[in-house]
Amino acid sequence: MKHAFLQCVSMLTVAAASLALTTGPAFTQSATSAPATKKWEPAKTPWGDPDLQGTWTSDDCIGTPLNRPANLGEKLYLTEEDLAQREKQLARQRENDKQEFVAADQRVGTGPPGHWGERARRPCRQTSLIVDPANGRMPELIPEAKTRPILEGAGINNPRADSWEDFSYYIRCISRGVTGSIFPVIYGNGQNIVQAPGYATILQEMVHEARVIPLDGRPHANADIRSYMGDSRGHWEGNTLVVETTNFLGNRTGVGGNGGGTPTSDALKLTERYTPVGPNDMRYEVTIDDPKTFTQPFKVAFPLTQEPGYQNFEYACHEGNYAMFDSLSGARAKEREQAAAAAAKKQ
Amino acid sequence: MKKTVGIVFAAGALLLAGVPAWAHHAFSAEFDTDKPIKFKGTVTKMEWINPHAWIHIDVKGEDGKVTEWMIEAAAPNSLLRRGWTKNSLPVGTEIVVEGFQAKDSANRANGSVITFTDGRKLFIGNPAGDPGAAPGAPEK
Repeated sequence: MKHAFLQCVSMLTVAAASLALTTGPAFTQSATSAPATKKWEPAKTPWGDPDLQGTWTSDDCIGTPLNRPANLGEKLYLTEEDLAQREKQLARQRENDKQEFVAADQRVGTGPPGHWGERARRPCRQTSLIVDPANGRMPELIPEAKTRPILEGAGINNPRADSWEDFSYYIRCISRGVTGSIFPVIYGNGQNIVQAPGYATILQEMVHEARVIPLDGRPHANADIRSYMGDSRGHWEGNTLVVETTNFLGNRTGVGGNGGGTPTSDALKLTERYTPVGPNDMRYEVTIDDPKTFTQPFKVAFPLTQEPGYQNFEYACHEGNYAMFDSLSGARAKEREQAAAAAAKKQ
Repeated sequence: MKKTVGIVFAAGALLLAGVPAWAHHAFSAEFDTDKPIKFKGTVTKMEWINPHAWIHIDVKGEDGKVTEWMIEAAAPNSLLRRGWTKNSLPVGTEIVVEGFQAKDSANRANGSVITFTDGRKLFIGNPAGDPGAAPGAPEK
């Protein structure tokens, strides 16, 4: 199974997709709030920048697929009626979570049980995280991208497990890439923003990337200097923090939850916009432009919120990553079993 | 619930419907659907480590022999957000684990269903009713 868990259609999403949806209002920044009619003026830092500091989470769009189900066409937003339905589903989920005893028909599987996930607090208004193009779906790959050799493990989370290098950069606790580090997934969606004069930093909980973003107008690093998270430069457009990121290593992570999906190239350019729209609400938007991978740029957007008590926790990933060992030793054990079975057949 | 259940190779009795491998890694690479387990064990330790916590238990077999098992649990950060603390699972607690053994036949298993011996779930929702609440947040 590919590690497209963000794109995995959750029960919530399946239910939502089955609803009759109509075109909704213009993009709203909060998962539940009505379309913004009045511009929010955030506080300023002592040095005069808009103050976006705090720990933000994309939890409210957990389960919303990256690509819109095709049957929904260009309908990006849920109707009020559909939102009410989703709210009921969330309420049921909360009630189920609190059930003291295991249900008689409780499913037993190899996958993680439901209680592992963190939960959306409000229904996400969107039918997909991709908001442009209008069909809410990732553009076609260019022909070269379809045949480009992919490093083993890049964007794939169910590898053949011949080597530790076969596992994705996420499983190896190395990186989820920029978009994979902020797109909502089942847990660990925290984004801690800290500002200083001339800088903004974003510390992401899961895998613990720390992005240090100069805001002083300096040019990008030399094109020969490349990294998993690229080279970011930011500036303010009104109250919006605009971050442009280039200088990526190609072929490492894709545009999907936790960096899954077709890996992007070294030509990837991301333009992110962080716009505060309320005391605890922010609109996040990123334009993904990778002419060596996609036939056209596309845009992903979703709300970020601040929640009482929410904070980033430590994520010392590699030291406890027993799953790497277990998956490799499991693959070797299976090979031995198959070899023994083949030998027995010969006799 | 049987006192000593041991490893139950009764895959046919279990509903093995596909569960999305959507956590930190592909569970299908780690655990074997041909090796279902269900047994009672006594907690000896809980490792609060990322990316996932592990519960260590002693399992007494029908022959009286004790074996040590490790049961994979949720991400510690999520456990904290859902109301767990280091005191939630004291050493000596008896739990019942149902899931699948590691592919390499080591004494490790996923904890698909984990309960106390009276059938109560080990992991329930945060009493604060908010998955993002701080540890120990008061009930709403």
